[in-house]
Amino acid sequence: MTDLNALDDEDFRLAVRRWLREAYPPELRNPPKRLHWRDNKVWYLKLAEKGWLAPGWPREHGGMGLSAAKQLIMLDEYERHGVARTNDHGIVMLGPLLIRYGTEAQKSRFLPKILSGEHIWCQGYSEPNAGSDLASVATTAVREGEDWVLNGQKTWTTLANDANWIFVLARTDRAAKKQEGISFFLVPMDAPGVTVRPIVNLDLHDEFCEVFFDTVRVPHDNLVGAVNQGWTMAKALLGFERVMIGSPKQSAYALGRLRLLAQRMGGWDDPVFQDRYTGLRLDLADHTSLYETYLEILRRGEMPGADASMLKLHQSELYQRITDTMLEIAAENAGLLEPMEGNRDLNPAGLFLQARPVTIYGGSNEIQRNILARTVLGLPG
Amino acid sequence: MSVAADRSENLRMIRDSAGAVVPPGDLRRVRALRSGAPGIDRDVWREMCAMGWPGLRLPEAEGGSGLGMAEFCALVEELGRGLVPEPLIQGAFAARLLRGEALEALLAGERIVLPAWQERAGAIAAGRDAALRDGRVTGRKLFVPMASCADAFLVTTHDGLALVRADAPGVSLEIAGTQDGGHFGTLSLDDAPAEAVAAATEDAVDEALDEAALALAAYLLGAMERSFALTLDYLCTRRQFGRPIGSFQALQHRAADLGIQIALTRASVESAAATLDSAGPAAPRAAAVSRAKARAATASMLVTRQAIQLHGAIGYTDEADIGLYLRKAMVLANLHGSAAEHRARYARLLPETDHD
Repeated sequence: MTDLNALDDEDFRLAVRRWLREAYPPELRNPPKRLHWRDNKVWYLKLAEKGWLAPGWPREHGGMGLSAAKQLIMLDEYERHGVARTNDHGIVMLGPLLIRYGTEAQKSRFLPKILSGEHIWCQGYSEPNAGSDLASVATTAVREGEDWVLNGQKTWTTLANDANWIFVLARTDRAAKKQEGISFFLVPMDAPGVTVRPIVNLDLHDEFCEVFFDTVRVPHDNLVGAVNQGWTMAKALLGFERVMIGSPKQSAYALGRLRLLAQRMGGWDDPVFQDRYTGLRLDLADHTSLYETYLEILRRGEMPGADASMLKLHQSELYQRITDTMLEIAAENAGLLEPMEGNRDLNPAGLFLQARPVTIYGGSNEIQRNILARTVLGLPG
Repeated sequence: MSVAADRSENLRMIRDSAGAVVPPGDLRRVRALRSGAPGIDRDVWREMCAMGWPGLRLPEAEGGSGLGMAEFCALVEELGRGLVPEPLIQGAFAARLLRGEALEALLAGERIVLPAWQERAGAIAAGRDAALRDGRVTGRKLFVPMASCADAFLVTTHDGLALVRADAPGVSLEIAGTQDGGHFGTLSLDDAPAEAVAAATEDAVDEALDEAALALAAYLLGAMERSFALTLDYLCTRRQFGRPIGSFQALQHRAADLGIQIALTRASVESAAATLDSAGPAAPRAAAVSRAKARAATASMLVTRQAIQLHGAIGYTDEADIGLYLRKAMVLANLHGSAAEHRARYARLLPETDHD
């Protein structure tokens, strides 16, 4: 295989572009809603076959080991081509955690199956009473011989209705301080006692689910890290999540749609609009530079610090400012249920709604600001 | 009783009567009507007519109640609180322009007549490219809210107003669903038989359009106020970190800021209603409407967006009522002109002078 890292940036860009033209299913370009596994599987498997599923993982674990600069080029080309997001929790969230904290047995058991598409993961963190206060998780895991028995409920579990595995935070010590009694489990969704109920969201899509655990038995081998160390690891994983949510992809996509909409509505040449648009464009360009520094941290195999909250805050709010602007200029089309004129690139209402949860999930922006203020700026708590 | 006390008693009675017809706390009826045709409940419409709502502002001699814009806005505000889908604003708009038998049928609840005035997206003023000749109308009208429930359309044309039956030959209606569960109709008229509505002047149509724009602002005011009340309840009851989330100062400050925007909207809407209720030159009247509609559009989007944020993930589910308010604001904020269109019109109508 060509050493992609050895290519110069322009050749690398062309290689990515060429491959997307050849391999990416045209009907999946710029889908109006997040795709389910039944729809994006074909693309996931093509990435798997090509060895391009995990651009940021080290090469010894089957990743591409790409430099941050090259990951950004890849992202940019994906964005231009309208490549849809896959069911990527295994790649973006669990993989890096296993690489860092998993046993050799866990790595060799799970990482290849993420890369082959055999295991599709979802994330079992939030609960009805543990959202922003995530350390309050009440799902319990009790040791019984060689097994752990899980009981409780998770919620806002993205695409749990597609997944065959879930990683779960569960309470293993009720007496300890709440952050110190949590462990991290890997649970097959077909285990007896696991049930999933999809939740319909404001965009009328079943992207989130509730997941119930009723006396679900998993072997001790499925516990990652040490008992009661789940919170520490999850926090590290949240660092990954914040970098992932901090990807400029959503904002870049939305900005392109804002431009099309302004051209269609006739306000594109208005100097006031141009100033506003250029302001958003510069925010995106600066954001991308900041994002690149975090990709570099990940590529070195290091954990991003609490300051990764900045990325999540800035990108989510930029995405919302762009989609807010779309609604403002869309006239009556702002209220339509379907894309304008049957054109999925002109979908201001849909994008606006899809931008709503971004400031809520992955740790609400209110919580992110607390983290920034206390952990990074050192203000008193 | 003094005139002022009389008026405030009227307003109180109107609000009470609105609550009796469409109780605001329960959105089950609104949910059940979502995304179906015609999207309204004809019995509720008839009840509204029996209460005299479409003719609230008409003189008593014409079968109305002889009340003002302040009363109509108070009524519509209550409907906004309950996200009522029946097209009262449009019905009242038509009632202002009709006379005789057509008006009687509308006021009696027998026939729903909806204005079809718009020919381009984002318009504030009536489009008049449609043509009326020899009792036949040809043209295309956009964004008619709840169009599929109409028995007839009141169409603005180059040659005056025309009344067109929905089932007349040459009339076709294309429906596009809206985020609030309602719909817009695109009305195509191809040599459709029509009845000229001679009594209504262009000025009368312009005034009725402004009244409808102000009424929309009042509806948005009611909707945002209700969504804010639900949000304050949630802030007081949802607990994280061992206390109600409303005890966190960051959220308190945000709630305070939303409260200010709602107060500004109320002041702006009530001031505009008072301006329309008093005699005066046209420009300041229209400017007052633009000021209120611009404020209501931006404030309603801000308040209903933040209502979702402050509810957290539950706010992003379809089963939580709070999202219905955001989706209503998405549809109404730009109807009868976006905030930017109204700001621009305000500046045109009331240019700053050296004295300002």
